[in-house]
Amino acid sequence: METFISLAIAILAAPLFPGIILKVKAFFAGKQGPPLFIKYYTVAKLFRKGSVYSNSTSFVFTLGPVVGFASAFIVLLFFPFAGATPLFSFHGDVIVLFYLMGLGRFFTVIAALDTASPFEGMGAAREVFFSTLAEITIFTVLLLFCRMNGSLSFAEYFIGENPISFMSDTGALLFLVVFAMFMVLLTENSRVPVDDPATHLELTMIHEVMILDHSGPDLALIELGSFYKLFFYSAFITHLIYPFSTADGIGNWFMFYGLLAVVYAVVGVTESMMARFKMDLVPKFVLTSFALVFFAAILTMGVFQ
Amino acid sequence: MDTFLLSLTVLLAGGLFALLTYRLFSLMKAGYIAITAVGCLIGLYAIATPLQGGEIVTFSVSWLHIFTLSFSLDPLSAFFLIPIFAVCPLAVVYSFSYMDHPEQQGRVGVSFFFCTLLIISMALVATADNIISFVLVWECMSLSSFLLVLFEYQKISARKAGYIYFIFTQAGALFIFAAMAMAYSHTGTFDFSSFSTIPANFKVIIFFLALVGFGSKAGIFPLHIWLPYAHPAAPSNISAVMSGVMIKMGIYGIIRLYALLDVTELIFGEVVLSLGIISGILGVVYALGKHDLKKLLAYHSVENIGIILIGAGIGMIGISSNNMVMASFGFAGSLLHVLNHSIFKSLLFLGAGAVLQKTGIRHIDQLGGLMKRMPTTGKTFLTGSISISGLPPFNGFVSEFLIYYGAFHGITLNGSSFIFVMLAILSLAIIGGLAAACFTKVVGVVFLGEPRTEKAANGSEVGIAMTAPMILLAASCLLIGLFPAPFVDLAFMGLASVKALAPVGAEEIAVVTANLALAARLFLALFLICVLLRKVLYLRKQISRGPTWGCGFTQPTVRMQYTGTSYAMSIVDFFRPFVLIRTRYSGINRIFPGRTTYESRVDDIAEVALVDRIVTPLLYLIGKFRWIQHGYIQLYIGYIVVTIIALLLFF
Repeated sequence: METFISLAIAILAAPLFPGIILKVKAFFAGKQGPPLFIKYYTVAKLFRKGSVYSNSTSFVFTLGPVVGFASAFIVLLFFPFAGATPLFSFHGDVIVLFYLMGLGRFFTVIAALDTASPFEGMGAAREVFFSTLAEITIFTVLLLFCRMNGSLSFAEYFIGENPISFMSDTGALLFLVVFAMFMVLLTENSRVPVDDPATHLELTMIHEVMILDHSGPDLALIELGSFYKLFFYSAFITHLIYPFSTADGIGNWFMFYGLLAVVYAVVGVTESMMARFKMDLVPKFVLTSFALVFFAAILTMGVFQ
Repeated sequence: MDTFLLSLTVLLAGGLFALLTYRLFSLMKAGYIAITAVGCLIGLYAIATPLQGGEIVTFSVSWLHIFTLSFSLDPLSAFFLIPIFAVCPLAVVYSFSYMDHPEQQGRVGVSFFFCTLLIISMALVATADNIISFVLVWECMSLSSFLLVLFEYQKISARKAGYIYFIFTQAGALFIFAAMAMAYSHTGTFDFSSFSTIPANFKVIIFFLALVGFGSKAGIFPLHIWLPYAHPAAPSNISAVMSGVMIKMGIYGIIRLYALLDVTELIFGEVVLSLGIISGILGVVYALGKHDLKKLLAYHSVENIGIILIGAGIGMIGISSNNMVMASFGFAGSLLHVLNHSIFKSLLFLGAGAVLQKTGIRHIDQLGGLMKRMPTTGKTFLTGSISISGLPPFNGFVSEFLIYYGAFHGITLNGSSFIFVMLAILSLAIIGGLAAACFTKVVGVVFLGEPRTEKAANGSEVGIAMTAPMILLAASCLLIGLFPAPFVDLAFMGLASVKALAPVGAEEIAVVTANLALAARLFLALFLICVLLRKVLYLRKQISRGPTWGCGFTQPTVRMQYTGTSYAMSIVDFFRPFVLIRTRYSGINRIFPGRTTYESRVDDIAEVALVDRIVTPLLYLIGKFRWIQHGYIQLYIGYIVVTIIALLLFF
C-alpha cells in the first residue's frame, strides 16, 4: 500500500518542484515570479491544444515524446521514494534503467533530426556528446556503490540491509558522489551552466532546441518526462544526503520532500549565480564530475585491502 | 554428425547447382536459394542435440594417407554454428533481388558458389578437431571470402580492398600456423585434445601468436584495417555474411584455444580485455568519423568485436580469480553477443545494401528522407540501430547486460583485476553512449529529414526478397529482447566446452533472465499505454501541417540540414590524438572571394602507422635490392645454380 501511495505522490508532485526553481530564480532577480503551480497549468494547457507537424517529419517524430516519456516514467516504478519499497526491483535494475533513459534520449534525438532543421541537429549533436560523458560518471557511481555494499539496484542502495549512507565506513566518499551527481543532474536535465532552458537564442541551447517543433500534447509529454527525470535525479541525491529506513514511517516523507525541495532550491541558486558555459567548456565540466567519483572509486581500493 | 554432414552436402549441391545452371538465371537463383535454405535448416536441426548437452559426436577421414581430418560437434561448436546456419540463408534469400544482374550471370553464379564454399568452410572451422583439419578449412574460408570480395574485380578500389584483405588474412593465418606448429612440436600429435599438456610458458606464446592471427580475422584494433576496405567492396549480402558471421570465427578461435589450453593465468584475461576495450572504443569513434555507410558499419564490427572480447576477458579474469559467476556471465554475454551481433549487423548491412541499390549512394551526407520512401527498410534499419546501440528492449542489451552482470560480480576483486574490471564497465558505458550517438547520426541523416540529393529523393522501396530477410532479422532482435531466456540458456550451454568453468546455478541464470524479460516487457507495456494515451489526447484535436520552424529564417534549403560530419565532429575531436582529423580549407583571401572549399577527413591511426612505419620503410629497403631483378633469364638460372651449390657445400 505504502508503495502505491509513494508512487502516486511522486507522480503527482514531480511538476510542482520545478516551480521552486523558478521561485528561487525570481527571488534572486528581485521579481515575484510565476505561481508555484505554473508547471501544472502549462501541462494542462498543452494537453488541451492541437498540434502542428512539419512536412519533413515521419512517424519517428511522434515516437520521440512517447518513448522519452515512457523511459522517464519507468524509473519511478523502480525508485524507493522516501524509503517506500518500490513497485519493482531486482539486482541490476539500475543498468536497465539508465539504458532505458538512453533509449529515451535516442528517440528524442532522432525526432529532432527528423525535422530537417539545422538548429535541432545542432542541439542533438550536443545532447548525445554531453550525455555520453555524463554516462561515464553515472557508471562510475554504480561501480562505486557496488563496491561499497555489493548492490546493483535502487532499492538495495537506499533501503537494503546495508544502505549507502554517510554513517557507513565509506561514507566520506559520498561527499564526492553527491557533488558529482549534482553536476550530472545539471547536465542531464539541461540546466545552467550546461544548457539554458530560458534563452531565446536557438544556437545556444541543447535540449530545448531539440523540441522546438513539438507542440500540444506531444510537448506536454516531453515536459512531463523532463519533470520526472529531474525528480529522479534530485531524489537520488536526496537519498544520498539522508538515508531512510522503512521503519520510520510518515516522518520520513516530510523529511524526504523537504530535502528534495532543498535540492531543487540549490539548482535554482546555481542557475541564478552562474552563467552558461561556453560549449567547449561543458565536456570539462562533465569530466570533472567523473574525476571526482573515479577518485572515490580508487580510494575504495585502500579501504578494502 | 550424419545430419550435419548431410546439410553440408546439400549446401555443396546448391553451390554446384548455381555453377552449372547459371545460364538459366532466374531458375539458378531460385534453385540455389531453395537448396541453401534446406541445407541450413538441416544444419540447424543437426546442432539441436549437441547444444542440449547431448554426447559429442565426431567424424574423421584420412587425407593423403598421412593425415587424418577429424571434426567434432560439441556445444561450443554448435553455438557458433547457429549464426552460420541462421543468418547465411537470409543473406542468400536477399541476394535473389540484390544480385539481379542477368548481364553478369556467370559472375553471379560463381559468386554464389563461393558463398556456399564460405558457409561450408565456416561450418567446418567451427567443428574442426585437429590441427590439420583446422588450418585446412581456415584457409578455405579465407580464400573463398577473398574471392567474394573481388566480385567487382574490374574496379581498382575493389581489387585494392581484395589485396588488403588477402594480405591481412594470410599474414594472420601465418601466425595461426606458427602457433599450431609450436603446439605440434610440444605434443607430437595433431590432436587438439593434447593441447593442455603443453608447458605453461609455451602456452602463453602459442595463445598470443594465435591471438594475432584470430584477431586479424575478427578485426581487433589495430589489425582491423582490412574491414573498412573489404566490407564496402563486397556486395552487401556478402558483407552481411562476412561481418555478421565470418569475423566471429576469429572469436571462436580465441575462445576455443583458451578452452583447449586450459590456462588460468591472469595475463590472458587482461590482454584480451585490454584489446577489447581498445577495439570497442576506437571502433565506435572511427565509426562516428566515417561517412561511407558501409565503412561505418565495418567500424562498428570492430566495436562489437571489442564488446565480445570484453565479455571474454571478464570471463577469463573470472576464471583466474576463481569467481565463477563473473566468469560464466562474462563468457555467456560474450557468446550471446556473437549471436546478437550476427543478427543486427547483417540486418544493417542488408539495409545499407537496399539503400545502395535504390540510390547508388554510399556517402550518408548525400542521403536523407528515406524513411518515407523506403518505409520497410527504414523501420528495420531503425530496429537494427537500436539493437546495436545496446538499448533495451532489444537483443543487444541482453548480451551487454550479461557482461555487465559478470563484471559487477568482479568488482570486489582487488589489485589490478579491480582496475581492469572497472575499466571494462566504464568502457562498456562509453561504447554504448557513442554507439547510440553514431546510430542516431546514421538514422537521422540517412533516413530522416529531407533528401539532400536528387538520387536520394528518387529512392523507392526494394522488393520482397530483400525486405523479408530484413523483417525477419528485425523481428528476432525484438524477440530476443523480450524473451531472452531460451537464448541466454543457449549461450550457457555453449559454455559447457570450457572445462575450467564450473557451471553456475541454473536458478541464478533463470532469475537474471526473468528480470531482464520483466523490465523489457514492462517498458513495452508502458510504451503501448503511452501510445494509447497519446491517441486519446489527440482525439478531436486540430492537427495541421506546415514547414519546419526555421528560427526566423524564411528561405531554408535542404543543404542547411545538419550533416553527419558536423553531427559527429565534436565527439571525434574529443578523441584526439587517437584519431587523425585532417582538414583543408581554401580560406577567404580577397575582397570578392572566389569559391571556397572546406574538406575534412578522419584517418585511421592504425592504417597511417602501418603505411608510415612499416610499409614505406619496407618498400624503401626492398627497393635497394631492385638491381637483382634485371630480367635476364640466364642470370636467374645462375642464381639457382649458385644457391644449390652453396647449400650442397654447407649442409
